[in-house]
Amino acid sequence: MRTFAVLWRREVAALFSSPIAYVVIAVFLFIMGYSFTLKLFITHSQTLVDLFFQMFVLILLTVPIITMRLVAEENKLGTLEVLLTSPVTEPQIILAKFAASLTLVTLMLGLSIIYAGVLELYGDPDWGPIFSGYLGLFLFATSLVGAGLFSSTLTNNQIIAAVLSLSLFLLLWIIDEVAALLPSPLNDVVLHLSLSGHFKPFATGSLYLSDVAFFLSAAFLTLFLSIRALSWR
Amino acid sequence: MSKVIVAENLVKRYGPRLALRDVSFSIEEGEIVGLLGPNGSGKSSIFRILTGYLTPTAGTVTVAGNDVFRDSLALRRQVGYVHENAPLYDHMRVVEYLRFMAQIKGVKPRQVENAIASVIDRLRLDKVCDLLTTKLSRGYRQRVAIAQALLNDPQILVLDEPTSGLDPSQVVSIRDFILSLAGHHTVLIASHVLSEIEQIATRVMILLDGTLLTQDALKLHRATQELSIRVAGAENDVKALVSQIGGVQAIDTLQEGGDLRRYIVKAAWRPKLTEEIASTIVGNGFALSELTPITRGLEQIFLDLTNQAREVTA
Repeated sequence: MRTFAVLWRREVAALFSSPIAYVVIAVFLFIMGYSFTLKLFITHSQTLVDLFFQMFVLILLTVPIITMRLVAEENKLGTLEVLLTSPVTEPQIILAKFAASLTLVTLMLGLSIIYAGVLELYGDPDWGPIFSGYLGLFLFATSLVGAGLFSSTLTNNQIIAAVLSLSLFLLLWIIDEVAALLPSPLNDVVLHLSLSGHFKPFATGSLYLSDVAFFLSAAFLTLFLSIRALSWR
Repeated sequence: MSKVIVAENLVKRYGPRLALRDVSFSIEEGEIVGLLGPNGSGKSSIFRILTGYLTPTAGTVTVAGNDVFRDSLALRRQVGYVHENAPLYDHMRVVEYLRFMAQIKGVKPRQVENAIASVIDRLRLDKVCDLLTTKLSRGYRQRVAIAQALLNDPQILVLDEPTSGLDPSQVVSIRDFILSLAGHHTVLIASHVLSEIEQIATRVMILLDGTLLTQDALKLHRATQELSIRVAGAENDVKALVSQIGGVQAIDTLQEGGDLRRYIVKAAWRPKLTEEIASTIVGNGFALSELTPITRGLEQIFLDLTNQAREVTA
């Protein structure tokens, strides 16, 4: 556990030593702030549903930028070899990288709670959909960070890692539109892979175990694959 | 002395390419062993297997009693590894990097600062310990890489080209430091600079195309010696006199020039043979005007062995 904590601290320090973390947070908060303000003044609505869908898209676009360097950069620089010749295990390394990236995404989401605070201050929002929306975004981010980390284990090139994960995310985002064109039962299978399909219930205040299981399974699967990819050398 | 590294019938295959072919060797405690070989000969594969980074395709390796397959984590606790390019984390200061490495190497929390202070002192890093690693010169980067390998006082040190890219004064300082490790650690070192290996190592192994040509090139180097002598006197008398000296295998006349001739003496290696030849010649009333040892350097042995191996495979 101590080794994991040491590795996690180094990963967080590495994330915040580069401008990427600050730029990602700033852009995320700027766009969300603009969107929230505009929506509030035009519709006087007391929900964050629309904001959650926008956060969904922004997380989908920023996670590849956060995760692209995780293993690819270390592999290229040779620091991964130093790490793997020290008494640390592959699961410790992968879980520390995963937890550090998730820390950054959670911080982004955490800072956006201020919008819910504003609604509470000037109105009477329904907190159920707000809680479920944030839970959905967190679980969604968990699966995306896992997949981004896995793509970073497949190459030494950060750009290729980012393109790989972004392509996968975009495909799984729009895949439900393709599903309608496919014959049964293939359309059902494809529909169940849709990221937005599993996120929608969370954003609108519904909580289904199948959606929770989908995101958690995706995270576990990609973490397992990342550990295997790191061990296979 | 006990054997701390034992490799038997090592094979490493990368897809269709065979990087190591049935390599077997052992290293005893406290030895400084050099590993020589051209680029692509398999040196890095051996190092990566010994440090637990790679597993062999076939064969067995035990390092400090730990099997590379079964006890990889315990093995890695006993081995300090210095990568050829001295990779460091750019966002860290030297002391932060050393603290991080000490923690992941399992140094006890109370001993971390002492371990860091010790390596900073031994590697003379005090002037740079607060600098970011990106600000370090190549020489200091190499020293920091060696320092991290020593943090948990490992039994074995594996150094991959530790002096590559360094200026002559840095080379001397790193070489002296490695020599100071003798007796405390078992050191395995790879280098392209043969003269340097000759000065540091107690034993030199030569690797070519994944095949270990010799486990002790220095033994070959020291097995025989040749001397060039220039003596005034009757040729037969000089030859008869020198031939009587223990260890002398042959004496040939190289250069005729009146009474003064140059001879080549071939002898089995033993200490103080040169002094004995000189005192015997002078003691028997002959005028010795020159005595020069002709050494078959490690470089020559390396070239001879690699050429022989290439001829066999051709």
